[in-house]
Amino acid sequence: MKIYLLCITVGLLLTMNIHASEGPVMHLFPTTVLEDIRETGKVAEEMENNLQDIISRLDLQQELYHGSRCAGADEDPGCQRIARQIGATYLEMLTVMTERLPQMEQAVDNTRAGLKKRLRSELGEKTTPGGLQDVLLGRQTGPADEATLALRGRSGIRLSDRFKQYYGLVASRQGGASSSLAVIASDIYLDMEQASYLIAATREEISRATLMEQLNQSFGLITPEMAQVVEGVKSILFGEQGDAPIASAPPENTGLTYVSPLEY
Amino acid sequence: MRKFYGLVLITVLAGCASTTPTAQCDVTIRAPLEGAMLMVEDRLTNGCAYSFDAYMAQLIEVARDNPAAGNKRAFSELLVRISDQAVISKRQASEFYNRYFNIKFASLSGDYNTCSQVCPVRSKVISQMRDELRDKEVGLLEITGDQGSYYRADHLLQESELVLEATCRACDGDAG
Repeated sequence: MKIYLLCITVGLLLTMNIHASEGPVMHLFPTTVLEDIRETGKVAEEMENNLQDIISRLDLQQELYHGSRCAGADEDPGCQRIARQIGATYLEMLTVMTERLPQMEQAVDNTRAGLKKRLRSELGEKTTPGGLQDVLLGRQTGPADEATLALRGRSGIRLSDRFKQYYGLVASRQGGASSSLAVIASDIYLDMEQASYLIAATREEISRATLMEQLNQSFGLITPEMAQVVEGVKSILFGEQGDAPIASAPPENTGLTYVSPLEY
Repeated sequence: MRKFYGLVLITVLAGCASTTPTAQCDVTIRAPLEGAMLMVEDRLTNGCAYSFDAYMAQLIEVARDNPAAGNKRAFSELLVRISDQAVISKRQASEFYNRYFNIKFASLSGDYNTCSQVCPVRSKVISQMRDELRDKEVGLLEITGDQGSYYRADHLLQESELVLEATCRACDGDAG
């Protein structure tokens, strides 16, 4: 439902066709790229919804395991039972990820490829280094937009929310100053490259982890590796605090107006 | 006769020694900045052009000790005047001015596109931009007291690093 409301809002914003450009207008986010970002957010949300219950159950089971002082008490039948339950939930998580990751990988790859093409053409081939600085400065006189500048410190939020944020930023700036769009496009592209690499690595790891856990099920063991994998999935999907933004907003322009004839 | 020639030779050598460019160009530059600039201009246009770098470094020091918003204009006007008198080229004047007093980076410039001009030497360009930011700190912040412009330059460097990383990766390899 939230997604549909978002789509309607974005559609309205796009048809309003706001032209407030101060910097050179670039075509970094054509409809196809916007659609890819929206699709990636949707796939991420589905994956989160499928995993959230499982991960909450895993957390509860682990609390119970530690609360019952099961660590080190491998011979205790009650602890073995809890450990097997944790293992089964863990396997469930791996199964959901196996099912959902290919779709996620596809969505991320589409976004990455679309952005790569636009970045290469608009910023790489059509722009000189000096022009690039003009794009980034946007010939703006006011303070830069904080929402844009804080993008690189993007952890701490759910993956799907991150895409909603991206989508919202891009859609509301269509036809607007290209300076922020260049930064957003670069940010999303680098993020997609990293996500693509992580997804591929995770897919490779899942089959091995599944096999290991199937073996562990016969012994009812909790391995440190299981806890690590669960923590990793949680941090990727549901965010983790700690990363600082790449930059804070600069102070307001002091309004000094002298322009030298020597200036670029 | 031999005595006479010896005397002439000594006189000529002494004359040369008293007008060697080193002695003539070796001056102490002191505040106020305007006076110092006039003296530098006079020296530069009277045979000391090769001392340009040394003079400018001293003027920068004088200006650092006497910060004012108008210093930026004073440097610009001096550079325009001495480039008009062909002491330095327009390009040199522009590079010096922009390195210290402009938000934009002289290290990130050129007539070719970003993929071909910057990407093959990206880390070198970024490193030069970082060096240039230190000069902008001197020019914009210490000499001119223009905090806003300095922070915009600092911010531009950070954004350039991010955008160049992404763009150069996109330039690399096939379009897919």
